[in-house]
Amino acid sequence: MTELEARGVSRRDFLKVCTLAAGAVGLPAWAGEMMADKAASSAKPPVIWLHFQECTGCSESLLRASAPDVAELILSLISLDYHETLMAAAGYQAERSLADSMERNDGKYLVIIEGAIPTKDGGVYCRAAGRTAIETAHKVTARAGAVLAIGSCASWGGIPSADPNPTGAVGASKIVTDRPIVNLPGCPANPYNLLGTVLQYATFGTLPALDELSRPKLAYARVIHEDCPRRPHFDAGRFAHKYGDEGHRAGYCLYKLGCKGPVTHANCSLNHFVDVPGAWPIGIGHPCVGCTEQKIAFRVPLHQTVDVDRPTAPSTYPPIHADHRVVEPLPVGIGSAIVGALAGAGYMATKKLTGNPKKHDPEE
Amino acid sequence: MIGYGEPQAIGGKLLARPMKTLLAIFAVSLGVMWYRFSAGLGPVSNMTDGFTWGIWEPVNVVVFTGIGAGAYGVGLLCYLLNKGRYHGLVRPAVLAGAICYSLGAASIVVALGRYWNSYWLGVPTLWNLSSALLEVAICVLTYVMVLWVEMLPSFLARISASPSARWKTFGKKWGGRLQQAMPYIIALAILLPTMHQSSLGGLLLIAGPKIHPLWHTALLPTLFLISCLSMGFGAVVVLITILKLTWNVEHDQRLLAEMSRVNAYLLIALVVLRIGDITAGKLWYVGWDLISLLFFVELALFLTPALLFLSHRVKRSRGRLFGASLLAVAAGAVYRVDAYLSVYRPAPGWNYWPSIGEMTVTVGMAALGIAVFILISRMFPVLVVEETATGRPRASESAASR
Amino acid sequence: MIISRRSLLKGAAATGTVTALARCSHARERSGALPEAVGMLYDSTRCIGCRACVTKCKEVNGLPFDRDASGIYDTPTDLSSTTKNIIKVFRNGDNHAFVKQQCMHCVDPACVSVCMMGALHKEGSGKRNYPTERKGTGIVLYDKGTCVGCRYCQIACPFNVPKFQWQEAFPVIAKCEMCWHRRDPSQGEPFAIANPACCEVCPREAVIFGMRASLLAEAKRRIVADPKRYNGRIYGEREGGGTQVLYLAPAGVSFKDLGMPDLPAESSAHFSESVSHAPYLYGITPVALYAAMAFVLRRRKKRDDRLQRGGETKR
Repeated sequence: MTELEARGVSRRDFLKVCTLAAGAVGLPAWAGEMMADKAASSAKPPVIWLHFQECTGCSESLLRASAPDVAELILSLISLDYHETLMAAAGYQAERSLADSMERNDGKYLVIIEGAIPTKDGGVYCRAAGRTAIETAHKVTARAGAVLAIGSCASWGGIPSADPNPTGAVGASKIVTDRPIVNLPGCPANPYNLLGTVLQYATFGTLPALDELSRPKLAYARVIHEDCPRRPHFDAGRFAHKYGDEGHRAGYCLYKLGCKGPVTHANCSLNHFVDVPGAWPIGIGHPCVGCTEQKIAFRVPLHQTVDVDRPTAPSTYPPIHADHRVVEPLPVGIGSAIVGALAGAGYMATKKLTGNPKKHDPEE
Repeated sequence: MIGYGEPQAIGGKLLARPMKTLLAIFAVSLGVMWYRFSAGLGPVSNMTDGFTWGIWEPVNVVVFTGIGAGAYGVGLLCYLLNKGRYHGLVRPAVLAGAICYSLGAASIVVALGRYWNSYWLGVPTLWNLSSALLEVAICVLTYVMVLWVEMLPSFLARISASPSARWKTFGKKWGGRLQQAMPYIIALAILLPTMHQSSLGGLLLIAGPKIHPLWHTALLPTLFLISCLSMGFGAVVVLITILKLTWNVEHDQRLLAEMSRVNAYLLIALVVLRIGDITAGKLWYVGWDLISLLFFVELALFLTPALLFLSHRVKRSRGRLFGASLLAVAAGAVYRVDAYLSVYRPAPGWNYWPSIGEMTVTVGMAALGIAVFILISRMFPVLVVEETATGRPRASESAASR
Repeated sequence: MIISRRSLLKGAAATGTVTALARCSHARERSGALPEAVGMLYDSTRCIGCRACVTKCKEVNGLPFDRDASGIYDTPTDLSSTTKNIIKVFRNGDNHAFVKQQCMHCVDPACVSVCMMGALHKEGSGKRNYPTERKGTGIVLYDKGTCVGCRYCQIACPFNVPKFQWQEAFPVIAKCEMCWHRRDPSQGEPFAIANPACCEVCPREAVIFGMRASLLAEAKRRIVADPKRYNGRIYGEREGGGTQVLYLAPAGVSFKDLGMPDLPAESSAHFSESVSHAPYLYGITPVALYAAMAFVLRRRKKRDDRLQRGGETKR
């Protein structure tokens, strides 16, 4: 902690980041505190970050913070032993680092894979340090504690796998098949999702619950559409039709511009990117492109509309038969009294007329 | 057997206490009507898009005109079937009919949303001949005029008895001319109600999906026609009995019993037709539920007075005949209200009960009707009064109205 | 001439029978769809419930937003005088289906049949047509100039479509008129006839506009192409005599679930008119009856007058 304080990072900021990260994977706030303590106190979790067919965007999204302190902060939470872009070392030194870390932290290190792995022609399309991506992946993950695939590229192939996929790019889970991989798709992935997963592993030794595509449920269970701040506009039928038109400027729903929010599982609508509020595609006026979904991103044209997947009709939708009842007790009482009075009067009159023998008109 | 005497004006104070009460009730309803015209139909009533006619059409129009169909029924018996002994009943029945129909027409104007456009009804090129309501509207408006024309002899008779020579001549001349035209007027007075009373039932034909099958049938026009005759006869007996008690109007028990026997056959015909209708494929709608109960209550309401009318005890008893006639009127009224409201279901989610404003207008209209009846009976020779030993009519002071 | 009780009963029975048999009389032709009938096709499986159609309909028709009883702006819960088009949802556990409700523009509309002054009429077939109305499109239009506000149309319509302005002192009836006022003669058919805003704005083409015949063909094609997706019926093909707005429902959802009433193939207008008009025989019956009665009564009166003058009083 003193180390961080020396760099001007308060405990409060530190806690904030940890809590946000915990929230990203659905752990309660107190877990964030625990993570902070663990991180601040002792051994930071060792992380080996592998890069394959990628643009480094996922790393960048981690670092592209408005406040440089947070970037420092993040890097202080983990011990980044190998990262081809960020590490100072290069060449043999870098590979030495990798081997050392693997040996030192055998069975405990976290591998984060960024980028797709080419499979065509024996995987020659991505080689570093004389090994193909396939070989590296197998080698490094063999003795890892946990493996994370960050970004769509590592999760399912991403943009390198877009048609015609000349390199045969696939996600890491297609290569590393002997152990579970946590996929964190997104292009780029939301850094808090990564952070939360890593810290959970470091603090508790567990990984978050995963869905059928190995994505953390609590970040990827819901579609953007369900939690989108522009949802009321969708519900009310207010849409932007062209970039820059009145509706667009008013912040209306971007569905008709091709927003893939209804079919994209992600939590960007809740956790914007890093710490800038509103810094996410829909927030700045561009429809969601579905970057986490293999069937959508880089396949369905940007401005083509999609069917709304599993729409949750809110309770404000009118039912088939609305309630138009108007009956109230007072008029019912009065009306019944009138009818009753008429019936009673008729009965009384009849009785009176019938009962009096003198009034009985004899037949003539 | 009492031969029919001449009708005479009852005379007496025009604004006696009962009249004042009735007019006060009407004044209140006038206030409600003023509110309706200034604020719209919604604020005053519980009418909604589902139950759009409220009670003003089913009760003020359909039930009131059913009661006023005594003019039609008595006219049929007296003129078409040439039973002249009913002649003494004609004027009171026609007056009641004229008033009831006028109330119905007035209620329609209050109930219409865009009443100011009703002048278009006078432009035949705009008529949509496929509409049963158009037929009702034209027929009813014409019939109201015919009924008041039928009352003209009574008004002219008084004018003829005026001390002024000029009015006397006027009255006699026009009275004579009217007498000559009577066959044509009476023919109209029988044709028109046949048409529109059956059409009042025909109005509901189009709402097949919304009316319970035990009530919705191609026989609706026939049933309503028979029912109106029954109601009319019953109403005439009730009316004459009340008039007997208040003003000692001539009350021929045998005649009324004979008329009620006709009523009995009409009621039995109604029951037979309705049972026949449901046995032809609708039996499975009958079950242990409220709707079926309502159906059987209606049948009982029809059958009970029918059987009573045929019984000797009732035929001889003024009170029992009165009670049975009340039942006959109630039966007709209940049938009409049921068909229009109780078993009408536009869709799930709608229900209806008249608001206080609507009930006020209905009651106020009824009060006005009674008041006008009293007024005209006092001023013009409408009713035949029984003579006492002194040869003068015994007018009762207690003109207590119901 | 004394008519006995028996003959009275016989007459009553005869009247009853005649009326009952009137159903069999073909006093009225069944009307089929007009040649240039336009319509809409609503596919509930494609609807996403975005309600762009509800908003746009209010916009192009100049309708205000709805308020609830306490005066707060709120989404409409049903068709009303301020809402001519609405989306409702049917829920069944986890499943749900949307349905769009507006005027069905029936082939043989009950409202047109019952409107006293022809205020509701098929385009071009009214009593007072606007100069630009053309016959054959089948759109049901409303002319407030002749409407007397009798609200018989509300009773007649099996879909409860026409709505009334209850809160106005000078009310009108409100219902969808297929954006007839948005027609553009410079464009080709069918937009020269009408241009419903709901169809124009729907992002999923869940509701589309066109000639009824083509829409019916399209609906059939969709069912054949993907039978598992649809409830196999096209609502409006025959119901109530047929409607010009056609509906497709998802498999497992009945049209009754979606609030569409179960109607026989005979339109209520046809039934009502057949029964009502049968006795009239194009107006011959009333005239003949009147003439007969007037004749009888006049003859009787003449005889009575003669007898009276002769000194005897009748009876």
